Amino acid sequence: MKTEDLRKWLPLGTLVVLVLVVGIVQPSFLQPATLLGLAGDTAVLFVLATGVTFVIMLGGIDLSIQSMASLASVVVALTVARLGYGAALLAIAIGALAGLASGIVHVRLKIPSFIATLAMGGILFSAALVISKERSITLDESGRAYQSWITGQSFGWPNVVIVGLIVLAIAHILQAHTRFGRYSAAIGAGEPAAYASGVKVGKQKIFAFALSAGFAAFAGVILAGRLASGSPTLAAELLLPSIAAVVVGGTAITGGVGSIWRTLVGALIISVVRIGMTFLGVNIFAQNIVFGAVLIGAVAITIDRTKIPIVK
Amino acid sequence: MSARQEAAISTVRIAKRFPGVHALKDVSIDIGRGEVVGLIGENGAGKSTLMKILSGVYQPDSGRILIAGKETRIESAADANRKGIGMVFQEQSLLGNLTIGENIYLGAERQFVRMGLVDWRALYAAAARQLDKVSVNVDPRMRTDELSFAARQMVELAKALTLEDHSAGHLVILLDEPTSVLERAEIDVLFSRVRALKSRASFVFVSHRLDEVLQLADRVYVMKDGEVVAELATADADVATLHRLMVGRTLQADYYYEPLQRPFQDRVVLEADRLSCGKAYRNVSFKLHAGEILGIAGVIGSGRETLARTLAGFSPHTAGALRVAGREALLATPADAVERGIGCIPRDRRVEGLVLFLSVSANITLAALAELTRFGLIDSGKERDLAEAWVSRLKIRTPSIRTLCLSLSGGNQQKVVLAKWLNANARILVLDHPTRGLDVGAKEEVYQLIRRLTGEGLAIVLTSDTLEETIGLSHNVLVMRDGEITHRTEAAPGAKPRQIDLIKYMV
Repeated sequence: MKTEDLRKWLPLGTLVVLVLVVGIVQPSFLQPATLLGLAGDTAVLFVLATGVTFVIMLGGIDLSIQSMASLASVVVALTVARLGYGAALLAIAIGALAGLASGIVHVRLKIPSFIATLAMGGILFSAALVISKERSITLDESGRAYQSWITGQSFGWPNVVIVGLIVLAIAHILQAHTRFGRYSAAIGAGEPAAYASGVKVGKQKIFAFALSAGFAAFAGVILAGRLASGSPTLAAELLLPSIAAVVVGGTAITGGVGSIWRTLVGALIISVVRIGMTFLGVNIFAQNIVFGAVLIGAVAITIDRTKIPIVK
Repeated sequence: MSARQEAAISTVRIAKRFPGVHALKDVSIDIGRGEVVGLIGENGAGKSTLMKILSGVYQPDSGRILIAGKETRIESAADANRKGIGMVFQEQSLLGNLTIGENIYLGAERQFVRMGLVDWRALYAAAARQLDKVSVNVDPRMRTDELSFAARQMVELAKALTLEDHSAGHLVILLDEPTSVLERAEIDVLFSRVRALKSRASFVFVSHRLDEVLQLADRVYVMKDGEVVAELATADADVATLHRLMVGRTLQADYYYEPLQRPFQDRVVLEADRLSCGKAYRNVSFKLHAGEILGIAGVIGSGRETLARTLAGFSPHTAGALRVAGREALLATPADAVERGIGCIPRDRRVEGLVLFLSVSANITLAALAELTRFGLIDSGKERDLAEAWVSRLKIRTPSIRTLCLSLSGGNQQKVVLAKWLNANARILVLDHPTRGLDVGAKEEVYQLIRRLTGEGLAIVLTSDTLEETIGLSHNVLVMRDGEITHRTEAAPGAKPRQIDLIKYMV
């Protein structure tokens, strides 16, 4: 039981230690303004990771999230002039539909989720390339005006942090207090028993994929607002850190065990590591080496492999 | 026989415990050289555990194993092979996507490796020699999934016989239910091979089919509740004797709480009308009443397993009609069954019964979460109260309702499954081998609960491991054979049918 408790609190402990270490090296890091900036920089990663947490909880994976987020940024950039705030809603709706399609392919055609979403990711990436004519599209003055709900401040807090907290609240309630959340955990931990108990397993899975891609699109919308542009590669390089964030937070990659809080902690760890590397002068392009290593390390620690004879 | 120095392998007072179960108690057996020894007993008698100890899968808690009179430890399956012990599995272990030759030498290819490459010609030549030993005339380059079931069984036997090449001593081959899916003619072939191989090996033959044990074995051990209760030469035995020894105790009326068996109500809760499901069963008709326990007896392949699955929503019927509470229903998924108040206690509660990595309370409420949900949110206070109430009502022994079901004993896990269905307001329960793997005390508790619940109007369809349990618990018994009902009988308290009278309709 002791090692179980240790596993549960390890991610939060790691986060605190990392913050203190960076704070000692660079005392300005611990100032409220810097920490709020860190929170704002974590928002996109957190929203992406939150979406995929729903899928990972029930034992699947969604590899299409970074392409989905990039496509969403392109959609916002192309339509904000005509649709205003509606551009963001359109992007999220496209996300939910794409997720619905992945989910249906996975459930009805019985195709493993990593194949279904790998293929969907390719489709979405190409779609983004085609509609953007392979260019990065910068938002003009009027387009940027519609982004103040992301880039502005309210009550002295960056809006993006507030948006992140709202996402946290909604996702947490979904995961911890609804039937969908409970069924997801049951499916991830023991699908045959959930099915035998009358849980409509297919429906729950499809919903989770729609959520995942919808959240990914929302992350793309936030990213477009912060960078004032849309591009088919805007969110490239975010898949690995997102999945790393979920797993580092302590959600089991095999499903059944996890929470949105853990994903928040995981996303913050990834952010602090990223900033720490910047302080240490690590080449920005080398960062995924670290995230890859962190992902492997986290899975190795969180899974009790003595109980798993075969890994596929 | 039985002079110890002649024994190829012996166990001396072997014991093995699992959490909640004393699987083997002081088991001593001898397998003579060139002897075929039958091992019989009901499910849960300890046969499989004993086989797994002999083949190195389990280690005994106490007791000794002697091979050719010398005390030894069998560390692993590979070690068992080195010591000349091979096993032909009930669920076949051949890989269908590999050839016969590849299967026979799977994991033992090293002997054919020349300069880092496998010499396939040599391997297939050797495989052909192995097939000769069992007189099977097929090309070893064929994939095993192209073979008939019987031929695959022979390939398994040929694989077991490769032990001859690299173990110095006498071979002991364990045959675990090798005939359960074979046709009569195929069984004869298998038996003639086994007899022909007696000069090279001893055999342990585990089977449910008593007539076959009598036909093939020289001597029989009868196991019951983890003990060897009889040892006799087949020449002195007949099916009835073996059966009586296997079942053991003469029926004690109160073991199944027969005095608590109350007459059921007149209300029909489920009716099957000439129900059929593909090739599994045909024209099955019966009525199930509130408060009734309807037992279905039959051997493997009789169709009763699929019938139970149909009622629980796992394999929908293909013809005929099923009426639940008077209304026609097609149960396409378990969700359809649950919606109509039908719950299932599956044979493997750890897979289909419980989500082991969820808490006791989450498992109890899993099938009826909708009733705990208000405005889309689960009322956690109400959930906790419900779970606490079920834990105390069914006397589930658990440290807390937040404990993972993983850490509960088998009997308490089974009670959690029961609580789940009662909480979901199930009016009909399909009990598919409800006491499998439970020890005697836990079984009695389950029986007592079943009696209490049927007294309150719950209806039960029961398929059980043992005929004794089916007869002891049920109000009415249906006997099935080859997909059809062959016999119906009442089983009123004090006037229970005898097992032997039902067996003749089963086989």
